[in-house]
Amino acid sequence: MTKLTSVLIGCGAIAREHLAALAELEDVEVAAVCDLSTSRAEATAERFGIARWYSNYEEMLAHTKPDLVHITTSPAAHYPIAKNCLSTGLNVLCEKPITVDYKDFALLKQLAIQNRCMLIENQNLRFHSSIQRIQTLIASRRLGDVLEVQIFLFLNLGGPGSPYVDVNVAHPASVLRGGVIGDFLPHIAYLVHIFTGSLVDLRTIWAKHTPNSPLSADEFRGVVKGERATAIVAFSGNAKPNGFWVRVIGTQMCVETNLFEPPRLTLRRFRAGEPALMTIFDGIAEARDVFTGTIAGFWRKLAGTSSYDGLPEFIARIYRSLKMGEAQPIPLDEIDETARLVDSFTRPDLRI
Amino acid sequence: MKILVSGAGGFLGRHVVDCLLAKGHTVRAIIRPASSVPKWSGAVEILRADLRTCDKIDAAFEDIDAVMHLAAATSGNEDIQFASSVVATESFLGAMAKSAVKRLVHVSSLVVYDWARTNGVMNEDTPLLKHAYDMGGYSIAKVWQERVVLRLARAHAWDLTVMRPGFIWGNRHAEIAGMGRHIGRAYLIFGPFTRLPLSHVMNCADCLVAAVERPAAVGESFNVIDGDNIRVWRYVREYARRTGQSGLFIPLPYHFGFGLAYLASMVSRTLFGKKGKLPSLLTPRRFEAQFKPIRFSNRKLKELLAWSPPLSFDECLNDTYRTE
Repeated sequence: MTKLTSVLIGCGAIAREHLAALAELEDVEVAAVCDLSTSRAEATAERFGIARWYSNYEEMLAHTKPDLVHITTSPAAHYPIAKNCLSTGLNVLCEKPITVDYKDFALLKQLAIQNRCMLIENQNLRFHSSIQRIQTLIASRRLGDVLEVQIFLFLNLGGPGSPYVDVNVAHPASVLRGGVIGDFLPHIAYLVHIFTGSLVDLRTIWAKHTPNSPLSADEFRGVVKGERATAIVAFSGNAKPNGFWVRVIGTQMCVETNLFEPPRLTLRRFRAGEPALMTIFDGIAEARDVFTGTIAGFWRKLAGTSSYDGLPEFIARIYRSLKMGEAQPIPLDEIDETARLVDSFTRPDLRI
Repeated sequence: MKILVSGAGGFLGRHVVDCLLAKGHTVRAIIRPASSVPKWSGAVEILRADLRTCDKIDAAFEDIDAVMHLAAATSGNEDIQFASSVVATESFLGAMAKSAVKRLVHVSSLVVYDWARTNGVMNEDTPLLKHAYDMGGYSIAKVWQERVVLRLARAHAWDLTVMRPGFIWGNRHAEIAGMGRHIGRAYLIFGPFTRLPLSHVMNCADCLVAAVERPAAVGESFNVIDGDNIRVWRYVREYARRTGQSGLFIPLPYHFGFGLAYLASMVSRTLFGKKGKLPSLLTPRRFEAQFKPIRFSNRKLKELLAWSPPLSFDECLNDTYRTE
């Protein structure tokens, strides 16, 4: 069996998630990894049984001809590396956000089309088990028409030892528009796009709740009008506990999930009958959803299932499409729409 | 001697600088940009740098006789620890390689040893951990940090001494991993009669300074412990009494805890294969690395460096629990 080959550039935490997903694919071989730190590259190679490691990605690409390059560096390095790869005809899977500025993405897109390369951003939550279940509910019409999606991401940025507020070394995502919150906007943007369609209009609020924080902003809110539905989105760097809540409201049902705790999904559906009695039925059904979801979530943790739910499936689909010569699992135009929405989230003229 | 100390603003670093000054040395101290400068007993040349990102550290090595490398992270996730301990060491010693300095004392840790393969007594001949990735972030970082140091020292023919302290404790740092685990108000003590490889911060600093001063230390590695005659139960009892901690202290036999961890790992492996994940307390190798009842030898320190801890355990207790 001829194996597809990959290389990975940037050996931080997310790289380990990519490599763990790749280790599950029998028809893919990781030829080499690269990091500016030789020891980090070597440690990563040793840990995952990869034969070669480099501290210079150009040297690595000169020695290997991979079917796909995984770019898992800090955001500022994405553009020059992706540009270099695409220019030489290499397919690219890049961590989010794919570029710091939208105009850079537009250039990469042009290059990818011109050289017939795959250019894909890591949008793993599209393949998150809970998001997939919600999409099944929508496709089967059980949820009815989608009216609204609410996406609330709570992540305590300023906790003890948090790299986001390290005053000695700025976090790599601090170069993004919106500061470190910019690192999470792509997730919010593509989830909004899935449920509401193309952007029609939006307004945002950016604020700083913790005055002595080194962050330029630690709170973000947005109201989005899409072509099919509306969305309310929020990022809080102060709210506790951490959570990534997605609530989709339809004409027949409301479904809610915390993406940090799969596979828990709570459904609230319309029930005809005596309202007081239906409240009891609703409560029991919700308790059942929470209980079964919590037990299954605990079991998943014990089983060592990746906390980056959706990433293994996403990566598997990318390699399947490469092998079969099919279109990339997320069309380039959809990645473009995500990048545009991220850009709009940070536009000063759209702030309230 | 004029000595460059990395990690000088840390818990151990502060004491090392004080000890160097007390012995008449001149010190250039590297401190992170946002850290406060400790109140040292003499004049110290301060150099502000974060070794994770600083690529202009070459000047730090000018006119230096010896380097004491203490910079490392003791908390944070695996990536933070790797960056602060290993990547920082790579760039720091990369700069040293461009200088004329040849003498290096590196501060490592007992976690670099393979505790599972230690029988009876841990000493400098105990095998080192080869595959650290199922251990915690601290162990991975310290194993790799020592590898980087050894490789560079070999490549540049440096006069290297590797010092591996046990549990470093002292004022405001009395809680150590070997004590057990808090679960609510209960405190589980695994192996109450297990010996602790304690190194009080002032004794540890004194030992490190002895290593940099004495030619006999060159080319050697040493386990830095005050002794192993203090057992967990006594340490915890002193801790509870002197800090006024209330709660339920539950002593459990070591083999009970290890057996439980072993059983849990067997069940996990049966159900989930290699991918299964367990908390560190239920991971046999990690449990062993914290609580294994073995003896710890400091004979090499005594014989080669003629070193013995200047403070007794009671003096260490008085210093640790003094009120400022």
